[in-house]
Amino acid sequence: MNNLTDFSQPQRQSLLGVLVMFANTLQKIVRAMWPILLVWLVKLDASNTLFIYLGIVAFVLIIAVISYLQYYFFTFYIDEENSDFVIQKGVLNKTKITIQLHKIQQVNINQSLIQRLINVYKLEIDTAGSDKKEASISAIPHELAIILKDRLINYASEKPTYTEEKEVVEVPSSLLKISLSSLIKIGFTSNYVKSFVLFIVFFSAMLENIKKIFGSAQIQEDKVTSYLEKLPLLTSFVMVLGTIIGIVLVVNLGQTIIKYYDFTIRRNNQSIVLSYGLLATKNTLLHPKKVQLVSTTQNFFQKKFDILTIGIRQASSNPGSNIKSDKIDVPGAAKLERDEILKILFNTFPEKGKLMLPNWRKLALESFFLLLLPIVVFILVNVSFDLFIWNELVMYCSIFALFSGILLWFSYKNYRLFVSNDFIIKQNGAWDIDNTIIEPYKIQAITTKQFFWQKATNIGSVTLSTAGGNIDFLTGNYLEIKKMVNNWLYQVETTNKNWM
Amino acid sequence: MQKFTNETTEIIDLPRFEEVKLNRLQAKYFNVVAIILSIVNFVILLVFFVISYFQTELFSNRIWLVMGIALSILIGLSYPLAKLSFNKKGYAFRTHDAIYKSGLISEMTTIIPFNRVQHVALHQGFFSRKFGLASVELFTAGGNSSDIKIPGLLLEDAQKIKNLVSKKINPDATDEPHNVVHNNME
Repeated sequence: MNNLTDFSQPQRQSLLGVLVMFANTLQKIVRAMWPILLVWLVKLDASNTLFIYLGIVAFVLIIAVISYLQYYFFTFYIDEENSDFVIQKGVLNKTKITIQLHKIQQVNINQSLIQRLINVYKLEIDTAGSDKKEASISAIPHELAIILKDRLINYASEKPTYTEEKEVVEVPSSLLKISLSSLIKIGFTSNYVKSFVLFIVFFSAMLENIKKIFGSAQIQEDKVTSYLEKLPLLTSFVMVLGTIIGIVLVVNLGQTIIKYYDFTIRRNNQSIVLSYGLLATKNTLLHPKKVQLVSTTQNFFQKKFDILTIGIRQASSNPGSNIKSDKIDVPGAAKLERDEILKILFNTFPEKGKLMLPNWRKLALESFFLLLLPIVVFILVNVSFDLFIWNELVMYCSIFALFSGILLWFSYKNYRLFVSNDFIIKQNGAWDIDNTIIEPYKIQAITTKQFFWQKATNIGSVTLSTAGGNIDFLTGNYLEIKKMVNNWLYQVETTNKNWM
Repeated sequence: MQKFTNETTEIIDLPRFEEVKLNRLQAKYFNVVAIILSIVNFVILLVFFVISYFQTELFSNRIWLVMGIALSILIGLSYPLAKLSFNKKGYAFRTHDAIYKSGLISEMTTIIPFNRVQHVALHQGFFSRKFGLASVELFTAGGNSSDIKIPGLLLEDAQKIKNLVSKKINPDATDEPHNVVHNNME
């Protein structure tokens, strides 16, 4: 092995690591206190600038000292005797993390934006059965990182079962890459509602702040309004709508590309590694065994483009403690790639089994609550407060009824459950159509539900809980559901496959 | 990789969870339910009286009267409803799973196979202890919605159930007397 770098003695990170610590601490503090900081900034009184500058300097100095102390007290070494990797950290609260070398599954070397700027790397250790976020070194030069990784992995491979896989560790084979064009397509066609809401919130907050700071936004606003008033009604309406749609699309696109740029799927040992990101490359480890629930999402436009998003939920296990599930999205996969990914996760392509449809009463019930009731409430409110004239009221109500009606109809039409021996697939959604796939032996518990008025008509619901989320099927034939439940219970109780 | 086969079983032959005869909760457990309900009702009434006494100008006298009548009707109704809901609750243990049924308006049956149970806990609340009762809770990895809590068991029954389930989860673990007893108001 390398004799130049002796990891058996406690050593510190690269001195430049102070900068990383500084950035992290600053980010943490700003994130925790941004409302206070915002209020402080807005209420900023120009008369005592000196205090403000002094305050900022003191603030930065304190964080700098904290960061240096954090750097000073952060040491790591390999305990050869017990074959442990040890990290010691903490200024006031001392923490000692000990990781048995043979438990190390994966060592990742990453770079975030700040780390890229000062040319250091982050080393993350992923183990079987502990929180991986704890075991990371946030500033280490590249050569050292490579050597340390080598040492850690080689220790792990001393166990005979790992020797063969060592080659794979060195050269991870690339399975799949999402092209930029797919990302652009996904960016243009997803998350409309989310981006729109974000845009409105952001825009109104901006406007509010500008008004507060300058106090002269009134003039600007009047200018815009008068400019729009000069144009014909339709043109101005189209212009405003067009601007909003344009901004939402661009924001969406930017977000998607920054988050998922260069999305690559690689196979590594027993697991799959996903890496992506433009500013900060993110590595995520995926164990097909731990995958509990997979969903694919596609809307009308995406169908035309032949792309979809795949959501994978895996149970991250800490034996003994709570089981959390984390969700990973694979954006912009084409149909062929989807089949490929599903085959990796399930070993076979999940075929849709016997079809089960909801009762028509589902549509009736939802129409009552989401269509009729809101209109009645709206009319009643209008009658008592006199907000609109009747013509307008009828217009708003019919627009709402049309919109809501179409959504309800499509969500009813798309609501399906496919049950085969090996897979349960639920399809739902009005615009974005989801297909959620689970394997029966990964069911944790089953709940059946029936309202007392549903007894006469043989209607009921079922919820299947897995460690990665639930699947429910509402308002179906209760006799059929009970039959399926008995079958699923039989499958779960007789299987010798491990759910994780 | 060997080909995995899975023959279809005749579903008709499978045991049916819906036909299992459920055990009812201990009758004395209703006392615990009634006591807790009374405490809650008492606190609500107290708050109502305090507000109506010190902040009388909040509403007109007529509205106070209407609210008072509505409140007493609700409190009066809460006892028969609690009794009905108590009667609806039931549980059963089969060889391979646990069944718990509850719910007045919506009848809910949750089934947890033993090979999916993460751990078992035995709870004994303040009032339950006075009546020698306890509850058993089964946790799975499926999140809160899929856990079941069976209240109103005799303490010895609860302990038996806990040991039984523990043995099913960990067949080789020895029968160690390490009982987690949680205390709460029940």
